[in-house]
Amino acid sequence: MSGIFKRPSRGVRRKRSQIRAEVDEELRFHVETLVSELVARGLTPAAARAEALRRFGDYRETEEVCVSADERRELKRERRRFLDEVWSDVRHGARQMRRRASVSLLAIGTLAVGVGATTAIFSAMDHVLLRPLPYDGAERVMTLWETDTRESDPTLEVSAGNFHEWKQRSTVFEAMGLAEPTSFDLSTEGRPEAVPVSAVTEGYLEALGARPIRGRRFTPEDYLPNASPVVLISHGMWQQRFGGASGVVGETLRLDGGDATIVGVMPPSTKYPEPTDLWAPKVLRAREQVDRVSQYMAAVGRLKPGVTAGQAQADLSRVASHLAAEYPSTNATLGVRVVPLRERLLGSIGPTLLTMFGAVTLVLLIACANVAGLMLAAGMERGRELAVRASLGASRGRLLLQLVTESLLLAAIGGLIGIGIAYVAIRGLVLLSPPDLPRFDEIGLDGRVLAFALVLVVLTALLSAIAPALRFSRPDLNATLRGSSRSATAGPDRQRARGVLVAAQVSLALVLLVGAGLLMRSFVALTSNDLGFAVEDRVSLQVFLWDLNPTEEQRARRIVELEETFRATPGVVDAGVVSALPFHPHQIASQTRLAIEGRPVAGELPSVNTALASAGYFTTMEIPLKAGRLFDDRDRADAPPVVLINEALARRFFPGEDPLGRMITLGATSTPRPREIIGIVGDVRPVAHDSDPRPEVFVPFSQVPSGSATFVVHAEDAAAKLPMLRDRLWSVDDRQSIYHSATVEQLVGRTLVERRLHLVVLGAFSLLALVLASVGIYGVVGFMTAQRVNEIGVRMALGAQRPAITRMILASGLRLVLPGILIGLAAALALTRFLASMLYGVAPTDALTFVQVSLLLVLVAVAAAYVPARRVLSGSPIRQVMQ
Amino acid sequence: MKRTRLLRGTVDVLVLKTLAGRELHGYAIAASIAERTEGALGIEDGALYQSLHRMEERGLVESAWGHADTGKRAKFYRLTAAGREQMAAETAGWIRYAEAVFKVLRPA
Repeated sequence: MSGIFKRPSRGVRRKRSQIRAEVDEELRFHVETLVSELVARGLTPAAARAEALRRFGDYRETEEVCVSADERRELKRERRRFLDEVWSDVRHGARQMRRRASVSLLAIGTLAVGVGATTAIFSAMDHVLLRPLPYDGAERVMTLWETDTRESDPTLEVSAGNFHEWKQRSTVFEAMGLAEPTSFDLSTEGRPEAVPVSAVTEGYLEALGARPIRGRRFTPEDYLPNASPVVLISHGMWQQRFGGASGVVGETLRLDGGDATIVGVMPPSTKYPEPTDLWAPKVLRAREQVDRVSQYMAAVGRLKPGVTAGQAQADLSRVASHLAAEYPSTNATLGVRVVPLRERLLGSIGPTLLTMFGAVTLVLLIACANVAGLMLAAGMERGRELAVRASLGASRGRLLLQLVTESLLLAAIGGLIGIGIAYVAIRGLVLLSPPDLPRFDEIGLDGRVLAFALVLVVLTALLSAIAPALRFSRPDLNATLRGSSRSATAGPDRQRARGVLVAAQVSLALVLLVGAGLLMRSFVALTSNDLGFAVEDRVSLQVFLWDLNPTEEQRARRIVELEETFRATPGVVDAGVVSALPFHPHQIASQTRLAIEGRPVAGELPSVNTALASAGYFTTMEIPLKAGRLFDDRDRADAPPVVLINEALARRFFPGEDPLGRMITLGATSTPRPREIIGIVGDVRPVAHDSDPRPEVFVPFSQVPSGSATFVVHAEDAAAKLPMLRDRLWSVDDRQSIYHSATVEQLVGRTLVERRLHLVVLGAFSLLALVLASVGIYGVVGFMTAQRVNEIGVRMALGAQRPAITRMILASGLRLVLPGILIGLAAALALTRFLASMLYGVAPTDALTFVQVSLLLVLVAVAAAYVPARRVLSGSPIRQVMQ
Repeated sequence: MKRTRLLRGTVDVLVLKTLAGRELHGYAIAASIAERTEGALGIEDGALYQSLHRMEERGLVESAWGHADTGKRAKFYRLTAAGREQMAAETAGWIRYAEAVFKVLRPA
């Protein structure tokens, strides 16, 4: 009897109608039995039925209660059965994994790398591009720029005078403000240190939507003429100088010799227009309000609700055209450009991140193809196993579930490791990225990114289960069960599936390798450009001398004094000074009009770059003297005015002539006197490896003593000497602050950081792709060779020579990768133009790169085929056949 | 309503007790309870089936189709391990309850 209590067989689903029928049968049995008993006791059948129903109570209600109780029970059981199945699949999968440890490890590693890299890049994209900007109502914040039809740069800084007019006349903004990047001398224990400051006009912080995390913004009172000085400090300064102390608001800082009260701390994210340590109130002086020429301020405006960027542009363009009419001498060529803050901050980084994300997606796809291939390969014995299961009644859905569970298991383990990889990769990415890339310091792992990783794990599991599922879910039962395990798996169908996977991997890898190759060639082309000056063992110290040395005589004396002090420092080879150092972030370049004596003026005078320099500048930086002489003691303030020109200027303005001895006049120097050209120096690249030398004129400091001076020092192990050099400077004047100091190597390296980041990221991805694709190719060729061991043994027994066999195997490897290479070449041709903006000195369709990468993949295929070929050929042919 | 609630608890424990150590179909359970209580509780047969199906949902009893003595198909019930525990606990509770009521009601 207890035999009937066995569990109902798996997969039997009790339908609703069946439940109802059973309840009905059970209750009817009860009533019928009672009726027949009552009849036996002598009641008439009708009376018996009436009595039985009376004793039963509410038949309908009972039926409903029983049916719904049974239905709930059935539902629970189904759910449990499903979980049991999944659990048994998990255990089965785990067993399979242990049995095929090497294949599983390979799959897990592949997925870990894929998920890790993708998660890291997504994290960067998410934090930099997708999250809202850290400003209130940031979508209404517009950055405002001047335009000048004479300039190529479409966004020029703003002059205070023009901004003043815009603010008076425009109607579209609810708040507008200017920020002037400047610096204050912050004194700590007597040592002045120049710290960056944003001097902001009333309305600037409101327009930007920047809100202090402690304390308050500036109030209108802070802008009154006799207001006591106040500042807002950056989060960084709060942490470093005050250790994040909560009582910082109300403390004072010694700034430019006076005390300023800290009224608040800004959040770390407030960095527009550039990272700064302090914010201070700025009132536009009367002189500034009419200065429509000096463009050096950053302007922002907050749109009134409902106003679009386009309307703002139209409004400001209207204002600009009025200004052009009113002030033709200054504003004739000037206009306004409105750029949404978001576009300004993220416009350039967006394509970079999208490129990286595209690249990492390719890596992930290769990884999925790899896992799919591995699972197909591992499915040699699985074919039989699954066929047996199918013949025992497992449904197609059931088998699919099992495959997906197994690949989910692999993906889950891979994903966990991948998150660890992502963590490390993100740290690396942040370290590699240039400090001025927007929001890169905010990148990290968090809930959103982890959720993305989770989705990724599920997606990769499904993707890598597709191929095996297609293959295995409709096993040919008869063939598989009857035939040997080999014939069951080596069908043309299977081969085609794996061929497609390899083609996909090869083509994806080729696209990545071509991209990385192009970037690499760009980088090499760029860095092999001669800069025109020496980089190693040079340091620079930038100072502004005006405040402490108001007269020309004082400045001239101080400059000589400092240069000689540096030169006399132990270990120093040479020292010099220049007003605008190439590659310097705070390069103060000035353009002046050039008139050449004895040459008729046709129209407007040409503009050339003008800098002040000492002779020591050229010798220290090893900028060669090509003709004539450098400055020397003869070129005193009262001596005849002289200049040096560079070769670019000589080529441009004196083609086929000897410029030495010619007289030129520079428009902007304080005394526009004719100056004699006494020498020609070599060209330098002014701001980056890819910037072409421009015509330049050098005027001796001794004759025009500017206060803007960047000292350069050549010394053994210069970087380590920097602190000592700073002390030497203070030994001359301990009130003099140093605005900026760095090694020249740092200055030059800074300009390459972003390119290096592109190269490293794309290079790493393409290397990954190559490794993954190699594994994929090796797996398939190895498998194919193993399939043909018999055939090869027979061929050899029949007299085939080893080289012929080797050629045969290598050829099969080649046949495998060729379609992938062709597809990849076509895809790369279509895709590399998106890289164009990152390339230098190489075309997006550079034939050499395409050919080299293709050859590399062919080589990989041949190597992947060679290993199994060796293995087969090393044994005796007879043994191969016997096995 | 109060009576029904009391009754349902009563029916559950009576059904569990009746099934102790044996497998019975619903009719046999009803007959057994009626016989032992001499019909004093007047339990409707429908309530009995509702109790059986609810307790099966809760995992206290399990059922399977078999054949009655008459040869007809009938649904048989037996206790599960959880049902046996429940029966022991409920029985003890009911006896304590009944004794307490009895102590009050018995003439001093």
